[in-house]
Amino acid sequence: MKLRDIAMGANASMYYRLDFKKIRGVYYPRNETEVLDAIAFAREHNYDVTPKGGGSGLSGACTGGNRHRVMLSSLQMAEILTISKDQGYVDVQPGATPDEINALLEPMGMKFYVAPSSRDIATVGGILSTDGGGNDTWESGTMRDNTLRVRMLTYDGRQLIVDWDGVRSNDPELEEKLNKRGMTIHDVASSHGTLGFITEVRVAIKPLSTESVASALAEFEDYDALGQAIVQMIERKSPIRYGEAIVMAHPDVREDLNPPLLILEFVEDYEEELKEFIDIRKLDADEVERMKDVRIKLPKRNPKEGNQVALFEGYGFHGDSLRNMQRSLDEIDSLLIRRDLTPFAKYGHAPSKWYLGNNSPAYGLVMHSREIRPEGKSGEQIFGTVLDIVEKCEELGVTPKPEHKWPFSDKVKKSRMEELREALGVGFNTFILGNDCDSVLSSMV
Amino acid sequence: MSYDKCVRCGSCVKFCPLFDAVGEEQFSPRGKMYMLQVMDQIEEDEELAKEFRRVLFQCSLCGRCTDVCSSDVDLLRVWHEQRAKAIETAPEEFAHLDALRDALANVANIYGLDPEDRAIYWLDELEEEMPDLSDHLYEKGKTADNMIFLGCLMSFRASQLDVLRSLFTTLEKEGVDYLIMGAEEFCCGHPLYLMGDEKGAEELRQHNKSVIQDSRANQVVTCCPGCLIQLSQHHNLEDIEPLHHTQYFDRLFGSAPKYEQKEDFAYHDPCELHRILGIKTEPRSLLKKLGVEYREMDLSCCGGGGLLRMTDPDLSDKIIQLRAARERLAASTVITACPSCREQLLGNGNKTKDIVELLSDAIGGSE
Repeated sequence: MKLRDIAMGANASMYYRLDFKKIRGVYYPRNETEVLDAIAFAREHNYDVTPKGGGSGLSGACTGGNRHRVMLSSLQMAEILTISKDQGYVDVQPGATPDEINALLEPMGMKFYVAPSSRDIATVGGILSTDGGGNDTWESGTMRDNTLRVRMLTYDGRQLIVDWDGVRSNDPELEEKLNKRGMTIHDVASSHGTLGFITEVRVAIKPLSTESVASALAEFEDYDALGQAIVQMIERKSPIRYGEAIVMAHPDVREDLNPPLLILEFVEDYEEELKEFIDIRKLDADEVERMKDVRIKLPKRNPKEGNQVALFEGYGFHGDSLRNMQRSLDEIDSLLIRRDLTPFAKYGHAPSKWYLGNNSPAYGLVMHSREIRPEGKSGEQIFGTVLDIVEKCEELGVTPKPEHKWPFSDKVKKSRMEELREALGVGFNTFILGNDCDSVLSSMV
Repeated sequence: MSYDKCVRCGSCVKFCPLFDAVGEEQFSPRGKMYMLQVMDQIEEDEELAKEFRRVLFQCSLCGRCTDVCSSDVDLLRVWHEQRAKAIETAPEEFAHLDALRDALANVANIYGLDPEDRAIYWLDELEEEMPDLSDHLYEKGKTADNMIFLGCLMSFRASQLDVLRSLFTTLEKEGVDYLIMGAEEFCCGHPLYLMGDEKGAEELRQHNKSVIQDSRANQVVTCCPGCLIQLSQHHNLEDIEPLHHTQYFDRLFGSAPKYEQKEDFAYHDPCELHRILGIKTEPRSLLKKLGVEYREMDLSCCGGGGLLRMTDPDLSDKIIQLRAARERLAASTVITACPSCREQLLGNGNKTKDIVELLSDAIGGSE
């Protein structure tokens, strides 16, 4: 074992106590040839392959579970290959981050409109594998909405090009099989590295916006009021260009905030209509930058005593669960407190968009949370709370985003991934679809 | 433990010059924090533990990780503590640092040279131009408003001579009351501090403190940010204000003659100066007073700090090569304010000037 094998386990999820002896190789390929070599090594030894990008996701998919496996990092495959301003796309290697892409595009007056909070380290390959979004999703959609084409390699080294029309492959038989199954980018999105290794992504780019936007803060009496305001924005198709909610913040990090609140940027002309259904206070440029900074740092803050834990992400409030947020959050908090987990922060993107496992879009609030980790609780006990939350969410009609809850409640997506793997072959991140996935994750907490 | 607070978000990874140079996670701040968090799983493996101790010294201690961290982790402090622990745990693995420690213990400079020579090298070179310079060398009984602390690099390296010339020329022209510690100067202790040897560093500091206090100086001025960290944060110089030379001159010059610029300049912020000491305004203020036009660069490291030049010179070289390429420095002259950054830039074949060189030229110091 070498240090590079250990260091590959570093990821933002609470699943980080790996059995390092099961990591049988670590690769940082720079191009497709090197990826093929790495996969060939894995195949020769019957090891699984686990793709890893920036490791900023909270689902733990990039850990590879507990199988004997080869870890394949995209961090050295981060080149921006082609930019076509006219046709509105950029071809990038999977390890490029939104920040890196936009640093190159900005002087040209263009932008890649996918902005997860972790855009400084999250890689496009990883963001697609989790179908991440951020605060651009309301206007521009999730990562899949901004992906035009993906190149991938399968476990046996076959090449695929997947777009919205279907699949092309250097293996005609495989191409036919996958097209019969109707494989598109919808399937690569939220597949958590189970289908193959992404070697190149063509992402959509648009001109930098020149519209005049205004900024405002809206504070609410309770969670129901917040939810209803978001419902209104969705129904009215409000031109919100930035919408971030701070739903709750522990006194250690609350500062002068008064949650639940929304930080909004909207088309200037919309102000009067917005005031019809929300009380807003206009923010100047400095104020809104400060609020954005507070919001983006919130997930990483720690309590004064103890440590925070990212227990469960991606509470998707939509429809009735959005209209009745108070009840939902009260029940979730009761559950947490019964398990000795102190709510620390709840925040998220709103209005936002995500996709359900059947590829239908949902609109609402994607809320993330942090809790204070209790002393003396085992990993199994902590994980047990996650499973309880999944059950509770099902009961409440709160839909976890597939990006975070792939093994738990998204049976449709899971079934689809299994179907595609029958054609593609297994070998990539198999633990995610295993019957023992729960216990594997539990052991890594 | 501070490293327990790391949430492994990865925001530090892409800012790290070592990760940038190598591209593998074990060199990144997150990677190292993570290894500390799972140390109970790996410390029994002797080879892994040894590798970890080594990677702690493959770091320039630029502090950018601490800067970007939103989780209240004092990464720099963790690195210092872990380095001390590493050397204590396995001193034999750090035998390559023994020569440095011995040199500092025996002759109080990093080069192992005769302490009497601390003033000789540059004095010999400058005496003809400035015959009275030797009068400013400290001896017991002499006092002055300002004590000049040169540091080991500036005292012994020929590559620093132009900076010294400009520094003394400016001080002379402005009629500043000053002494130079000269042979009485001991190393500030920064290299020992960087390896966690507080005891060794403290012995050096005690001597320097005593000399500076005896001189009755109100201020001690240095061109070296590393020395300034030691003087301001670890020497306990009560009632004596340690200053970087850019701070000193920015105060001294309310306005300055315009520098006749022919160069395309870029300004390189020394990490220890701007990030660890928080001195970013005064260098720029001085450049503005001189009417110097320059471009700002990304606030990344030159690779010269953290003992990296000694513990992994190849990595140190790679960092400055990447920086120079990324910032297109081949056709520019890099303004800086640190002897270590200067050494890195010159070593990479880049043109560089210290701010005091521009100041000296502007005030006609060479006349």
